[in-house]
Formats: sequence, structure tokens, C-alpha cells
Amino acid sequence: MIATLTRHQVRSLRRERTFAVFLGSFVLITVMAAILGYSSSSTIVRVYDEATRLLASSGQPAPPNPFDLKPTLALLSNMTIYVPFIGAILAALFGHSVVVEDKASGIGRIIFTRPLSRSTYLVSKLLASAVALAIVVIVGLAISAAAVFLINGTISVGDTGRLALFFALSWAYLFAFVLLGMATVLLARRRATALLIALGVWVVITFAIPQVTSGIRPVASLNPIAGPAGASEPFFRVTSNLRPLSFSEEFKTASATILQTGERQSLGATLGHVAPLLVTILLLGALCLYLVQRHDYSRSGADD
Amino acid sequence: MSDPAIEIVDLNHTYADRPVLNGLSFTVEHGEIFGFLGHNGAGKTTTVNILTTLLRPTSGAGRVCGYDVVRDRHEVTKRIGYLPSEVRMYAHLTAQENLEFFAQLSGVTNPTKAAKETLAYLGAEDLAKRRVGSFSTGMRQRVGIAQAIIHRPAVLFLDEPTSGLDPQGVRQLRETIQQLNTDLGMTVFMNTHLLSEVSRLCTTIGVLSQGELIYRDSMSETIRRFPDETSLEDIYVRMDGSTP
Repeated sequence: MIATLTRHQVRSLRRERTFAVFLGSFVLITVMAAILGYSSSSTIVRVYDEATRLLASSGQPAPPNPFDLKPTLALLSNMTIYVPFIGAILAALFGHSVVVEDKASGIGRIIFTRPLSRSTYLVSKLLASAVALAIVVIVGLAISAAAVFLINGTISVGDTGRLALFFALSWAYLFAFVLLGMATVLLARRRATALLIALGVWVVITFAIPQVTSGIRPVASLNPIAGPAGASEPFFRVTSNLRPLSFSEEFKTASATILQTGERQSLGATLGHVAPLLVTILLLGALCLYLVQRHDYSRSGADD
Repeated sequence: MSDPAIEIVDLNHTYADRPVLNGLSFTVEHGEIFGFLGHNGAGKTTTVNILTTLLRPTSGAGRVCGYDVVRDRHEVTKRIGYLPSEVRMYAHLTAQENLEFFAQLSGVTNPTKAAKETLAYLGAEDLAKRRVGSFSTGMRQRVGIAQAIIHRPAVLFLDEPTSGLDPQGVRQLRETIQQLNTDLGMTVFMNTHLLSEVSRLCTTIGVLSQGELIYRDSMSETIRRFPDETSLEDIYVRMDGSTP
């Protein structure tokens, strides 16, 4: 039954606009990150070549190409911002669309007069969403790998692995927001309220918590890699302890380590950045299961 | 002796401290077309919601084909079909795809064949490959009935099935319900306001008022008992004093 429902859901998603928008937008931001990466690297190389030419004409030795000192995947460092900013909001909208139709249009009334348990229903929705999200990030991975290959003329196995790991982490981050989108639909009575709650949580996670936990650098959330929390003010000394719950910051830090654009960290330290996110995914999954069990589908279709 | 198609025993339900059903008890035998009448808010839809396992009663029992709607939910849902008052399906899928999905949910072994056969049975083969989102109310209603009967349930619940239909649609629906009852032996439980349809279609009627069943009898006996009334509407108004 789970396989049947999952297949149906994937087929439905293929035809829905929300998924197409999600996929299209993700492709766009990945291409954008690659173009920006290429643009900055080509500018640096052009300036370097000009400087080298001038130095050579005056008989002075040329310093090494600064771009050669940068890690190859630095080209895509903007993706570490795009995923928590744009990807997360799209993921929440996608999660919303996965369950809202059954609830708001009244299809849920028909579905639950069939021999189907609510847990089976939810698990199939989660699986379908996970598959759809995997398609989105795999497309992102393919574009990124192609971009690195086109710009550098080569891509190493190590870089391919690091890219794959980064997109796997992105999948986990986005899946948390898919679950958030689902949970708010099951929690709120009206579709608009559900969307507002999801957007509110996204704002808090993406802007408010990073501001509080790294408050001495108020633009930290706009930089690819945030610096350490300020320790001068007593307030921020306390709130900086909440840093593990600042998911967007932790995502950026872990991503920077994976892509080698940030400071080097041990595997344990990197996993430490990711662990609260994984626990949150489990908690949100459990919350969705609880909410779908207690949801009154006899009122399905009457709320909006 | 076999169990009745539907059996309700001392059923009570409360919404936010407001009693909706008060000790409701009655039975519907196999093969009946039961018209469940009552004014808005009388508790008709709540009764159907409980019998279709969408809602747990506050107290009392509901049984379908001998199975308890709370304890034996799985068995009940295998034996019922349900058509809500407003038929909604996946708009971006075709009628065939929607029906295949609902057939799969009901455990039908060959969903594709079942969907085609059901649409053919209802004379709606032409709708199979069209997306439901483009359908008129009448078309949606036909596909809605198809989903409700695709697994050949023993009991069919129809909640205000004629709402939004034009006179031709109402007539088609009446013929379909009669056909389902005669050809497939389905017991039909129908919530409705349309008294003219009840008098033409139903074998038995029940009248619900303020959560209590105030009348239940066969259609022929009802007409015999109220010789002075010219229509079922007059009879209904006389029975249900609370009707506005």
C-alpha cells in the first residue's frame, strides 16, 4: 500500500506546478551560483594576467595566481547561502502543497473511508516528498559538477564526492522545511494560516536566530561563512550558546567545511554541526505523524 | 439471521459541548434505499461521518454489515462506498487515473480494468482520459459515483448527492442509484433535502430532528399513514415541527 500511494504521489507531483517551480528555481539558483563563481574567478584571473604582464614588462617576477590558491569548489560557495535562503522557503511551500490538497479540497474525506491507515498515508507522503527532493538536489549536483568541469577543464573524484556530500546535506536541510510545510498544514485550520506559520518559522530560523547567536556580526547571515559569535556583550555570550540551534548558520559552517571553503574541521566537529538538524527532522516527522492521526478529515474541504 | 446493513445503537455525538446526535438508534436492511431526511444541522452528515469511520462517536455504537465502525474500521471501510456532497478529486489527474488510485486504495486486484469497467457501467467512458479539473459538476458527480462503487461495496453512502446538479443531472443520478440497487444489490444510505427525489427513489425513510430519529418507515407505509398530505414535503413538515 505504501508503494502504491508513493507512486501515486510522485505521479501527482510530476504534474503539479509547485514541484515544477521548486525544480526550476533550484536549477536557476545552482546556475546562478556557478555563473557568479565563474565571473569572480575570471575577473581575478584577468586582473592577475594584466598584473603579470605589467610586472614582466618592468622585469619583476610575477606572484602565484591567487585563484590557484583557492579550493576548486569555491566557485559554488554561494550555494551555501542560496540553499537556506531560497531553497528552504521553496521546500516549505513544496511540503505545504504535498498535503494541503487532500485536506482543503475534501479528497481526504474520500481517502479515509478506504481501508488505509493514517500512518501508511503519511509515510507514503514522506517517501514521495523525499524522492521528489532527491530529484531536485541530484539535478543541482549534476549542474554544479558540470559547471566545475566546464570552468576548470577537469573535476577530481574528491571534488565530486565533496559536491555529492554537500548536496546530501542540502537534501537533509530542505527536507526539514518540507516537514515544516506539512506540519503547519495539519496544524492550522486554514491554508493561509499554515503558510504564514511556515514562513514565520523560516524567517526565525534564517534571520532571527543567526542574528541572536552571532549578534556581534549582524550581517553574518548574509555571508557565506559566518564568523564566531561575539563574546563581548553578556547577552550574546549567553545566546551564542544556542548556536547549535541556529540551523542555517550550522548548515553554512558544515557546508563550508565540506566544500573546503571554510576552516578545516574534523569529521566529528562537522557532524556536530549537522546533528541538531537531523534530530529536528526526526522530531518534525513524529509531529506530522501525531497531527495526521488526530486530524479531523470529516471536516476536510470545509476549512477553506 | 444475517446482520443488518447498518445498525445504529444509542449513538451520541457532541461538537464543542453542543450535542449533535442524541441516542440515535435505527437499522437499515440489506437492499434498501434509505432516505435520511432532516433540516440543516439536524445531524445527518455527522451520522454519515461516523458510519463511514471519518468520525468517532462520543458514545454508542454504529455497525456496518455487522462490523463496528470504531473497532473494526478496516473491515467496515472494505464494505462501504462514499460520495461526499461536493465531489473533489485530483484535478491534474485524468478520471481514469483518479479511479485507478481509489481502486488501489480499496485493494482492487486489477485497478485499470476496474476503472474502465466502472466508467463503462456508468456510461462515462468518454471522460476516462480527460483531466478532472476540466469537468462540470455533473461530470465530476459521475466520476465521484464511479470512485464510490469501483470496489463494489455492499453499502453506498451518498451525502446530498444532488446538490449542484441540474434537473437532467438529478434524473441521471436517480437512474444510476436505482440501477446500483437493482443490478449490484447495493444498500444505499442517502442524505438529502430533495424530497421529490426521496419519494421517487427511496424504499424507506428516516427523519432526523435535533439529533433524534423522529420517524422511520417504508415509503409506501408513509404515504398510507398520511393520506391527507399531498406530497412528501407536507408530510415532512408535519413530522418535523422544528423545520423553519
